[in-house]
Amino acid sequence: MKRTALILLDHAVILLFAGVLLTFGFLAPGFLSWASLGNLLIQSSPTAVLAAGMTFVLMVAGVDLSVGAVMALAAAVAGKMMLGGFSMPLALAAMLFMGPACGLVNGLLVTRLHIAAFIATLGTLWLGRGGALWITETRAMNLPDSFLHLGSSRLLGIPLPGIICAAVLAAGNVLLEQTPFGRQLRATGHSAVAAAKAGINVRRLVTAAYVICGFCAALAGILVLGQLGAVSPKFGLNKEFAAIAAAVLGGTSLFGGRGAVFPGSLLGAALIQAVENGLVAINANPYLYPVVTSAVIFVAVLLDTLRQRLRAAATRRIFPETEAKAFSASAAA
Amino acid sequence: MSALLEIDNLVKAFHGVPVLRGVGFEIRAGTVTGLVGGNGAGKSTLMNLLGGNLRPDSGAMRLEGRVYEPENSAAAARAGISFVHQELNLFPNLTLAENLFLTDFPIRGFFIRRSVLARQAAALLAKVGLPHTPDTPLEHLTPGERQLVEIARALHGNPKLIILDEPTTSLSPPECERLFRLVRSLQAEGCAFIFISHALGDVLQLCGRILVLRDGAVADQGPAGDFTIARLVTSMAGREIKQLFPGRTELPVADADTKPLLEVRGVRQPGVVDNIRFTLRRGEILGLSGLMGAGRTELARLLFGLAPHRSGEILLDGKTLTGGPRARIRAGLALLTESRGEDGICAGASVNDNIMLATLPAHAWGPLGLLSNARLKPVVRKVSESVHLHTRREGAEPLRRLSGGNQQKAVLARWLLAEPKVLILDEPTRGIDAAAKFEIYQLILALAAAGTGVLLISSEQEELLALSDRILVMSRGRLTGEFVRPDFSPESLLRAALAHHHSHPETHP
Amino acid sequence: MIQRLASSEFFVLGLCALLLAGLGPFTPGLLSAQNLVNVLAAMLPLLLVAAGQTVVLIGGGIDLSVTAIIALASVAGAKIMTLSGGWMAAHPAAVPVAVGAMLLAGFLTGLANGIAIAWLRMSAFIVTLTSLMAVSGLTVWFTDSKNIADLPPGFFSLGQRLPPALGMAAGALALTHLMLTRSIYGRWIHAVGHNAATARVSGVPVPLITALSYTISGLSAGAAAILLTGRLETGSPVLGQTMMLDIIGAAVIGGTSLFGGRGNVLWTVSGVLFLTLLDNALNLRGLSHFVIMMIKGVVILLAAGLDVVRRRGQEE
Repeated sequence: MKRTALILLDHAVILLFAGVLLTFGFLAPGFLSWASLGNLLIQSSPTAVLAAGMTFVLMVAGVDLSVGAVMALAAAVAGKMMLGGFSMPLALAAMLFMGPACGLVNGLLVTRLHIAAFIATLGTLWLGRGGALWITETRAMNLPDSFLHLGSSRLLGIPLPGIICAAVLAAGNVLLEQTPFGRQLRATGHSAVAAAKAGINVRRLVTAAYVICGFCAALAGILVLGQLGAVSPKFGLNKEFAAIAAAVLGGTSLFGGRGAVFPGSLLGAALIQAVENGLVAINANPYLYPVVTSAVIFVAVLLDTLRQRLRAAATRRIFPETEAKAFSASAAA
Repeated sequence: MSALLEIDNLVKAFHGVPVLRGVGFEIRAGTVTGLVGGNGAGKSTLMNLLGGNLRPDSGAMRLEGRVYEPENSAAAARAGISFVHQELNLFPNLTLAENLFLTDFPIRGFFIRRSVLARQAAALLAKVGLPHTPDTPLEHLTPGERQLVEIARALHGNPKLIILDEPTTSLSPPECERLFRLVRSLQAEGCAFIFISHALGDVLQLCGRILVLRDGAVADQGPAGDFTIARLVTSMAGREIKQLFPGRTELPVADADTKPLLEVRGVRQPGVVDNIRFTLRRGEILGLSGLMGAGRTELARLLFGLAPHRSGEILLDGKTLTGGPRARIRAGLALLTESRGEDGICAGASVNDNIMLATLPAHAWGPLGLLSNARLKPVVRKVSESVHLHTRREGAEPLRRLSGGNQQKAVLARWLLAEPKVLILDEPTRGIDAAAKFEIYQLILALAAAGTGVLLISSEQEELLALSDRILVMSRGRLTGEFVRPDFSPESLLRAALAHHHSHPETHP
Repeated sequence: MIQRLASSEFFVLGLCALLLAGLGPFTPGLLSAQNLVNVLAAMLPLLLVAAGQTVVLIGGGIDLSVTAIIALASVAGAKIMTLSGGWMAAHPAAVPVAVGAMLLAGFLTGLANGIAIAWLRMSAFIVTLTSLMAVSGLTVWFTDSKNIADLPPGFFSLGQRLPPALGMAAGALALTHLMLTRSIYGRWIHAVGHNAATARVSGVPVPLITALSYTISGLSAGAAAILLTGRLETGSPVLGQTMMLDIIGAAVIGGTSLFGGRGNVLWTVSGVLFLTLLDNALNLRGLSHFVIMMIKGVVILLAAGLDVVRRRGQEE
């Protein structure tokens, strides 16, 4: 019985996702059309990319609240450069440099100065936002159309944002699953002490996680620029919450050591977007979107907590011979 | 053939307390040496010296004739000595293969060579006889199987000497058999082993030579064929009590006709304790003996409501205990926990706050629970004096500034204030100096004299022998012996403690 | 040396004095009586909500939902007493009922947070984050994102005239301080923040105490909403939205630890004073909004670094 519960809890998000799709599909005909689902994926690509980066930080039991601010700062710099006559590739390169640099600052604050990740990245959030507003002079900055073209261009018939998102997710997944770095990152998240004992350089690993997160934030900034073509003071606002939520929905634990870039981040981002699109499709009051979204996140995290507790209960014994009995016994309790 | 490892007159002391007093022996290649000794005989210190975690005060180690002075555990591994520790350093969120090769992945460019990894891991797993594929997550394995993974990890790098520290405590009988076959086959390939275990039957069965440590010195050694369990036990225990203990003069109130103070009826929690039944009378000191991992601490936590039990009943003064620690404190129970730092103290809080913590409700006034510092102060001062607590700023300093002994006295003071009917002490003198120990013994005796029932859990046998009126022995979650003063002997306690170790547990009901 | 300085209880007050002495001569108006009264008035709401946050931090938690609670309470109170279509418009009891409702809104949201964290044992970060999103979403939905104006003048006085506001803040602060230092609940909150496992073994009702701390935080946010709404003369669904950094920052600068067990609402007062003075001085110097944001970001990082230094000093 407990095993069944654990299996169900392990797949809670897929079940939740299916539930959301079916509910809205039932309420709003056309919601389940291919075009609409494809659109859903493209719309959720910035959040998915952010969540992929966030997964690395959450993996080591950290958190990065500054991703939205980094997006805004990088976009503001790129915008300013474009308006100042620089070419687009140069502006993009600047963005892709800014992201990891901000991540490095976060990583050093956390690993060298031992500041709690939450407060360190809250501080850099304000620094980044302030910097972005400074550069844009708190006005919306309309960029040349080349960004919008970038956002709507297609490669082999596939929208470019989709390709970028897929590439990031694939690369992130390979990094996390197929390299020593990724495996050591996962070990560190389970227990930094045990990882250090096993001979892993924990500091460098954790710093790298923040750098990757910063890089993904910059990429997400590019994707959003492609959608909007402008940098407003609200650019990337509260995106950190969406990213954390998507990663957590995708099965990444806030306590470190558990999670995956793919399909987790995509699934989480798509679920959030599906809730939003579904609410649009049934003409719900737009002000209710965050309420429904946060309810979905709350349920997902509650399920994650239950899963953790069940797991802990399943290992709370010291002698092996009564193990089979213990399982059925504690399930009955 | 010369020795693989030569240990010569190793001496090590901590804070002036000698732990190893000149240990010397030899290990030959392709042999299995059993290392036995009671708790605190110096086994773990010796292993820490071998593993490079500690450095000896004097004496020398030679590996294959060369001076062996490992800087750290990595250096020890490079030199060819690998360890399988009792507490595992594995990652349940990774696969078996990843656990085996975590810092040493076969790579091409940036990527793990999955096929090579799988092949090498499969070979290691096959060696230890684990039927799982390399990509099985570790969390799917039982504790015993995880132990085998740890052994497989030790095998990686082809060590010359493998040290197995209590490898069989979490193994089922078939798993034990598998491990022994593995040890023998590796032995045939020339690998040497040191096998540390309390399972004396296993030691006799597996090892070629046996080495008995007692009080930091080699008490006995020789070919395993010359040993019997009886000789092992005598060598491990055989010593008069010479440390000073306060005398147990006042014996418990002899009111045999009255009801017992604490009564435990058939308490059972699967995988933890089984069918525990005993009673504790007013003014009695009841010792609870057993080897590490016998389930004593788990039993104490269960009695105190910190862990669940599935069946059975616990009665205090005839009333069934229910609920958590709060309810049980109110009913008259108190528990001094095993690991002070983890759940015994608030290290950052002041000494006085720590002492008051459990009795605040009794001193709070009105529905708002107001506390008067003027009224609390004399109470705390009085109890601090009664436990001889030494503080510098009248107890206003954080508790972590005090020595271990004074920290423990503060915890004891906390429970004295609660005036419990039954006090459970789990390793009350662990890690504290001799003077403080003596004071704590005196306090325990005084408490019993005043009518408190004391359940004393200790791994120091002499402590139990000196203080207890009666001693219960636990082994693998069950009570396996009961001894009444003066019928105590170290041998009989040890025999009972080893009960389920050399007769395999599944033969018991 | 740095450690001893940083650990001193008067360190932050010293910083405030330095700020005044350093910027005063170059910032016209900073030291004027009128401005200092303004600073005092501006401090009060922040003080209330930061005091509540201090309680949660001492207990080893964090409450991100307070800004949303402020908005919710503001709107709920305003909806009851507004003269244009309020539920109790022009009723003589409208103002007291509205004030009660504001406190109740804070109390209930805090209680809900507390239940999820204490008994469902969910991460405080996620619980209060989702309640931040949900509550502010509900508030915006409820008002259609519009301010609620036309509040009875009797209510303004609560936020605008200094004496009642000062009295309320001082009263709440004194009560919280007494609770933390002179009552069993305060001792228990400290113990849970220091080491929840030890607290449990010692018979502390840990879940109850955890829930209590979040309820206090919610209540204090409701009280802050009364003052803020009074100052603004409208109920606003985005009230307090930008206060988060100031709230946690004030507690941390004051010396309350993010890791639980150590803190004091009186220290938080000096943290609030410092941040408010900083804000005021930078505003008077004509610095723009975003420069102030950046400076505050740096200040919070410095404060957190200081916290680490202090903890090391304690451990030695």
